[in-house]
Amino acid sequence: MYLDIFNKMLESELEEKRKLLETSPYSTELGMQMAADARKVMNGQMEQKEFYEKYAAPMKKEFGREWAALEEKPEKNKKKGPRWGMVIDLAKCVGCDTCTVSCKAENRTPPGVSYNVVIEEEHGSFPNVKKLNLPRPCMQCDKPPCAQVCPVRATYKMDNGIVAIDADRCIGCRYCVVACPYGARSYDNGFTYEHEMLGWEDVQAPEFGNDRGPRTKGKLPEGTVRKCTFCFHRLERGEEPACVETCIGDARYFGDLDDPNSIVSKLAASPRAFRLREELGTEPRVFYLL
Amino acid sequence: MGKIEAALQQAHDLREPRLRNLERIWWGSLLIVFVIGMISLVKGYFLEGMASTNLTDTVPWGAWVALYIYFIGMSAGSFLLSTLVYGFGMHQYERIGRSALLSAIVSMVTAISFIFLDIGRPDHVFNAILYWNITSTMAWEIHFYILYLLVLIAELYLSMRGDLVRLAKEKGRLWKLYDFLTFGNYDVSEEALRRNRKWLQILGIIGIPLAIFGVHGGTGSIFAVAKARPFLHTGLFPVIFILSALVSGTALSIAIYVIKNKVFKRVSDLSMVRALGAMLTLFLSVELALEWYEFLIGWYGLKAEELETIRTMTSSIWWWTFWIFQMGLAMVIPLVILFIKKTRNSVNWILAAAIMTIIGVVGVRFNMVVPPLVVPVLNGLPWGDYYPTLSEWVTSFGLIAMCLILYTLGEKFLPIEQSELEIGGIEHERAAK
Repeated sequence: MYLDIFNKMLESELEEKRKLLETSPYSTELGMQMAADARKVMNGQMEQKEFYEKYAAPMKKEFGREWAALEEKPEKNKKKGPRWGMVIDLAKCVGCDTCTVSCKAENRTPPGVSYNVVIEEEHGSFPNVKKLNLPRPCMQCDKPPCAQVCPVRATYKMDNGIVAIDADRCIGCRYCVVACPYGARSYDNGFTYEHEMLGWEDVQAPEFGNDRGPRTKGKLPEGTVRKCTFCFHRLERGEEPACVETCIGDARYFGDLDDPNSIVSKLAASPRAFRLREELGTEPRVFYLL
Repeated sequence: MGKIEAALQQAHDLREPRLRNLERIWWGSLLIVFVIGMISLVKGYFLEGMASTNLTDTVPWGAWVALYIYFIGMSAGSFLLSTLVYGFGMHQYERIGRSALLSAIVSMVTAISFIFLDIGRPDHVFNAILYWNITSTMAWEIHFYILYLLVLIAELYLSMRGDLVRLAKEKGRLWKLYDFLTFGNYDVSEEALRRNRKWLQILGIIGIPLAIFGVHGGTGSIFAVAKARPFLHTGLFPVIFILSALVSGTALSIAIYVIKNKVFKRVSDLSMVRALGAMLTLFLSVELALEWYEFLIGWYGLKAEELETIRTMTSSIWWWTFWIFQMGLAMVIPLVILFIKKTRNSVNWILAAAIMTIIGVVGVRFNMVVPPLVVPVLNGLPWGDYYPTLSEWVTSFGLIAMCLILYTLGEKFLPIEQSELEIGGIEHERAAK
């Protein structure tokens, strides 16, 4: 509206536009055209980018140099962040359970909840016995069956590849526990270590960046389902997940699977790499090296 | 027998000491079980949460989920039976029409109560209605249940409307309740009743796909879509679910009809009971056939989890739920009873078969939930070890008592009894002769 008023003012004040422009040494036609199109841009009938593209060449020709260029504004979230993934070298794993313990310490998980476990398997019979240690965090599947079945979308896939749980929305139906092919989800029964470890309830891990203060009976996340978060709160401050950092044999690698030059990408492409229960089509983001 | 005489007869019946005693025992025992159940519910579920159950991360669903699908099946089965009357106009089953609808409603309410118990955060329960994950079978089910319950209530109301108006006009006991329930519409002209019947038919027809695909097939799909559990993850699973719903619904209708007649010392309509028995035979046979393929193909695949599940079901400490309940009580014994010429023509034997089926289907439902979950999803993870705690048992019995209380209240205060109807009355007399 104001634009119209200003336009009208200009029209009445500057009646002899063409004559005025002709006094300048440069092209009158170009000036008139640019003015008309500039108005279009102001009115939203023309994209700014289009305007620049249209006049970049004529202006260079007229004025002899690059006169104006559209400033490339970085579009919000245009650059994709990392999409996290993990590689676990089973040949390096000694089955010491440090990852399980450090995970428990970092995430302060209650009794009965363990985001990471090390499954120990024995194959063959004596004397031809082989023991396999299989650390099992959440696979952070790209096609997570848990998120598929959650009735309230409390569990979902984040852009960074991590499968999150929104405890504020979770109704605690445990359908995801039934649906997870890796047994990577646990229900928080509200148990506590307080009686054997004074002050345990005073602090909770800020899971998904959400600090819920001390652990209180009847308050969230009690009564909801919990799972490995790839230590999202640590990633946000530039640290590796606790299990990766503490692994004594350096069997775990963590990084951006979207970056072809990252260690995890290279290891995941190795012929030694496999994923658990690949036949289910869940596309886990945790790779194992055998 | 005219309708007034019939009503008088019933009032007379109630004054009979035998009935009075029976009623007193019935109410007394139900209330005791219900109250104990509710105490256990508050003490266990509300104060201790899931810690009051034996559920673990390996077996996250247990007795309450099994009973929930049991009552869902009961409801869907009873409703489908009632559509024979109201949807397809098979009036030979008229006398079980309303009680089938009432039991469908009551079973549904009980089923929803059971699944409510299984929710870890009752304070978040409305999220289930607010947020709808379209890929989640459970989210669809929650909405279907609500719709289905509304259809059931509308059906029952429409089928009773004529009698409600009559009761309101007779100004007998509780006439004000009936007067309120007519919602000021006293039109019982032939035209109005015809409209009623039309609507009953429409709702019945809408209800059939809703009950089969929405409520029951859908509930089966909740389990069948879990690809982590090979025993559940078959296309046949929801179909078996529907079949066992039809089985338990038919059995329930037979049992309610015959037991009610026995209590009031009336003669049961043998031809109808026989027809219902034949229907039960059909459903049981189809279910047996489907289960045969389910087990055969599952076993043939030699998948470790599948084999372990079948082994858990048939030969672990839970063997009796499969062999005695699922195969014995809910399959072979009723089939034998319903096949032998002598027993299939006897009301008492058919009643026995129906009651056995009703009890046995609990085992069927249990075996759909627990054994597939006992087997760990990854080799090396802990095996499940589930047995309901005392709290789970007592709470479950409390809710079952609630179900029976609701049904009895419905029978007592609503015109469910079909023999009061003119048509029903005539037929009943004929049967008595």
